[in-house]
Amino acid sequence: MNTSNAVDERRQRFDRLVAVYYMDMFRYAAWLCRDRSIAEEVVQEALLRAWKSLDALRDAAAAKQWLLTIVRRENARYFERRRLETVDIDNLTASQSALLAEASNEELNDLREAIYGLEDDYREPLVLQVLMGYSTNEIAELMGLKQGAVLTRLHRARLKLKEDVADEVNS
Amino acid sequence: MSKVTMKMNCTDYREALTAEPGLQDESGHAESCADCQAYRDEILALNEKLMAAMEISVPELIMPELPVIDSEKVVDLSSRRVTPRPVWYALAASVLLAAVVFMQMTGTEAIYGTLEEQVLAHVDHEPLALRPSSTPVSDSQLSRAVPQNIASMNHDAGLITYAQSCTISGRVVPHLVIQGAHGPITILLMPEEPVAKATTIDGVNIRGIILPVGNGSIAIIGDREEQLDQVKENVLDSVMWST
Repeated sequence: MNTSNAVDERRQRFDRLVAVYYMDMFRYAAWLCRDRSIAEEVVQEALLRAWKSLDALRDAAAAKQWLLTIVRRENARYFERRRLETVDIDNLTASQSALLAEASNEELNDLREAIYGLEDDYREPLVLQVLMGYSTNEIAELMGLKQGAVLTRLHRARLKLKEDVADEVNS
Repeated sequence: MSKVTMKMNCTDYREALTAEPGLQDESGHAESCADCQAYRDEILALNEKLMAAMEISVPELIMPELPVIDSEKVVDLSSRRVTPRPVWYALAASVLLAAVVFMQMTGTEAIYGTLEEQVLAHVDHEPLALRPSSTPVSDSQLSRAVPQNIASMNHDAGLITYAQSCTISGRVVPHLVIQGAHGPITILLMPEEPVAKATTIDGVNIRGIILPVGNGSIAIIGDREEQLDQVKENVLDSVMWST
């Protein structure tokens, strides 16, 4: 194969990956940083980094986890650069609020708010499990945790959300 | 997905389920405990709502300006490690599905791959359908998913726990899940997708078959350990095309 074909094929491969996983990348980023605008920035940076290091991805089956790991690192870099303060849920920017009030369904919006209010350590494994369909083993690998720690966090996250939902119904 | 085989008490079961709603309870605890069954239903319902809440809208992709890569440094694809066939299938299927979704979103006429690829991609992208459950779908839900102009189907195929209308090759097809001995089994009824002969699908964790049925086909995909022969017979006995 000549180098021109190899470059074209590389670009096609990248485009295919992005077509498949862009939605997952954005949603993961959005729930990590809890801000649509920042998520867009994080994903743009992640795409650039993925493009530059595409040749490191040897196993096609690992593509999703590879991309999500890049998103995770870019998100961490973003916050290291900006050293943002903790988000106060009662004082959100328009971009943060936009994440919460997307649906006309009030119950869904309440649940989004409850997810939004979870600590990062609880929210992330929950998103990886529920939205990305990852097993607790895979989450442990991606987050650099032991499986037991993941199970504990998932358990606590759901209990908290269950309580929040019950409180919302009772209020 | 984790499996629980040892005996559990209510506390252990609930803790495990709360962490993993997809838990396969082979200990049979929930079947013998009404309170835990109710708890399981509650957790599964919460999980469905969580998924819906997390599926926020995604803005249109704006590809960043990608820097030129030195062609000398590009690794020739042919020099890559050959991935096992099932892995290639899974990626191809995922790529294809995304392309179909993207093209539908953008109004572009979709280009479809092989039927096997589409079937696998579809199964891969509806993970919530594959939760173990003992709650059957209602007759009305089954009727909505399998409309009379497509086929008629009764409950003889097995315990149907999921029934939705989905799209394969741009056509609406009923997507059902029954509970097998080794977990959920996906069934796609495709009256307008003819296949010349039965085609097997082998993956790392799954095994399936696409059967020619009349002028169409039926896909059945389950766990690798699942014995599909009996399932196949039950499904064929329970379905009748309308056209």
